[in-house]
Amino acid sequence: MNDSVFDTIRDIDDLPTLPSVAMEVMSLSRKPDVSIKSISECIYQDPSLAAMVLKMANSAFYRRGSGAIDTLHRAILMIGLNEIINITTSVSILSIFPPGDGQDESVRRMFWNHCIATGLIARHIDKKLAMKSMGREFVGGLLHDIGKIVLDQYFHDEFEEARAFSIDVDCPMHEAEQEVLGTTHMEIGHFLAEKWNLPGYLADINLHHHHPSAAQFKDITSLISIADLLAKAREFSFGGDRMSFVLADQEAWHILKQMGYPVHFLDLERFTFEIESIGDEVKSYIGALSETDARESANE
Amino acid sequence: MNELKTSEAPSLMTDETFRLLRDFIYEHSGIYFSDAKKTQLENRLTLRLKATNLGDFDKYYYLLKYDPQADRELRCLFDSVTTNETSFFRSPPQIQSFQEKALPEIMARREEQGEKILRLWSAGCSTGDEPYTMGIVTKELLQERLAQWDVKIWGSDISEKALKSARAATYSEYTLRSVPPEIKKKYFIAERSQYRVVDEIRTLVELQCLNFNDSKRVRLMRGFDIIFCRNVLIYFDDAAKKRFVSQLYDNLNPGGYLFIGHSESLHNISRAFKLVHFPGALGYKKE
Ligand SMILES: [Fe+2]
Ligand SMILES: [Fe+2]
Repeated sequence: MNDSVFDTIRDIDDLPTLPSVAMEVMSLSRKPDVSIKSISECIYQDPSLAAMVLKMANSAFYRRGSGAIDTLHRAILMIGLNEIINITTSVSILSIFPPGDGQDESVRRMFWNHCIATGLIARHIDKKLAMKSMGREFVGGLLHDIGKIVLDQYFHDEFEEARAFSIDVDCPMHEAEQEVLGTTHMEIGHFLAEKWNLPGYLADINLHHHHPSAAQFKDITSLISIADLLAKAREFSFGGDRMSFVLADQEAWHILKQMGYPVHFLDLERFTFEIESIGDEVKSYIGALSETDARESANE
Repeated sequence: MNELKTSEAPSLMTDETFRLLRDFIYEHSGIYFSDAKKTQLENRLTLRLKATNLGDFDKYYYLLKYDPQADRELRCLFDSVTTNETSFFRSPPQIQSFQEKALPEIMARREEQGEKILRLWSAGCSTGDEPYTMGIVTKELLQERLAQWDVKIWGSDISEKALKSARAATYSEYTLRSVPPEIKKKYFIAERSQYRVVDEIRTLVELQCLNFNDSKRVRLMRGFDIIFCRNVLIYFDDAAKKRFVSQLYDNLNPGGYLFIGHSESLHNISRAFKLVHFPGALGYKKE
């Protein structure tokens, strides 16, 4: 069945697609002279998405200062364009692959915990190293393993087998996938990112986050690579992946160092302790999202 | 005012006496009380004042410095300035990393080399919870194969009083709160309301009194595969930390691991080790 898994997924006609508005927002955001008006008008095309984004902007996670945010225009002014794009992406993605009904142990929930943790950790590192990824680091973290969720959805049994394999042999998940499924979540994720016409850096992150030296967007891919490891070290892992690692020996670490980012000034111990509370941040983020879900369905 | 107080309440420590005592303790143990910890030292030593029937801290300082009996009092002083809050399987993710990652890695290497020797050290072992925990974990990993291995776990502490409890190896329910029930059943004997560590584990552990400032003796602790030195460095100032950690580095075999307390850091102390991220815990590796 080797390489047939990839072919099968490629040939599935009704693979989930990203809502068109989300795609449009993302491509708008790449234009250098994008206006607040054009972004908010774009989101308003999808009224339920607009409502969710507003609710998210008003949630404890994003809310800055007092007073309700009642228009997208105001939301963008208050919490920034990048965050609005983050929210639009998160809300859209999570509506395609909902994290489930709050069961902490469900595979889907573990998946999103890992991806949100990766995004949030990437955001912390971005700040520490002054990388100025402008919110791309959060979206990158959120979407870096999207191939896994597709593998789990269409090849559930084989994917479970790969998870068991990774635990037994104590090897990284992508090696187990290669062994069991003949493809990896990186290949599938890359395929999906291209099919969805996501920005190039997201396709790049999907394909290369476990070996960033081959990436085109080396800095953001390396950033996600490190955030991914740290998320796992905080036990936000999905599948086996209980590996230990030396950060300073990682490909991603060397790349960032070579590119001139001050990685050697980072107090890794302190940073690791700081992200111990990442679990609370993840909970608060998922909580905010499901709050918006709940209210949405209550309104219907 | 002052006079009235001293008649009932214990005498106060002047800043000058604090400095004298602080420097004395530092010189003899590396344990450092910063100015902010004056009250802490005062509280701890108030008990020693009562025990020695001395009226004030100045007299206590002179006893330490000049009395022929000073050695004995020094040991009591160490007992009272080191806090001994420990428990079995303390900081579970660290113990888990020790059990699932560090120890198996070292065992595999040793097996490959054909020498089944393991040397572990619980530096600052207090009442013994830690070295016995290490013993239990080692036994759990090796099971019957333990008999084919030469395993020695050293537990050292500066406090004789703590070591005395460690030798008794008898613990309260509370100290065992993180111990999984099946482990408790296997490795502890219930005696009235207490639990005693079984001999099979006790015999793996060698306890001894060791002052980390005694560099001659610390240097003799050689050839360790894994050292636990948790919540000990907090007592030292940076200079003493640096000295001691570089000594611990020398005490380790190549490929060995050092575990320090959860949320302790060697960031500004040593660059010799490689920082290893285990699932949920950090370790330091000597390459
Ligand atoms: Fe991945
Ligand atoms: Fe990942």
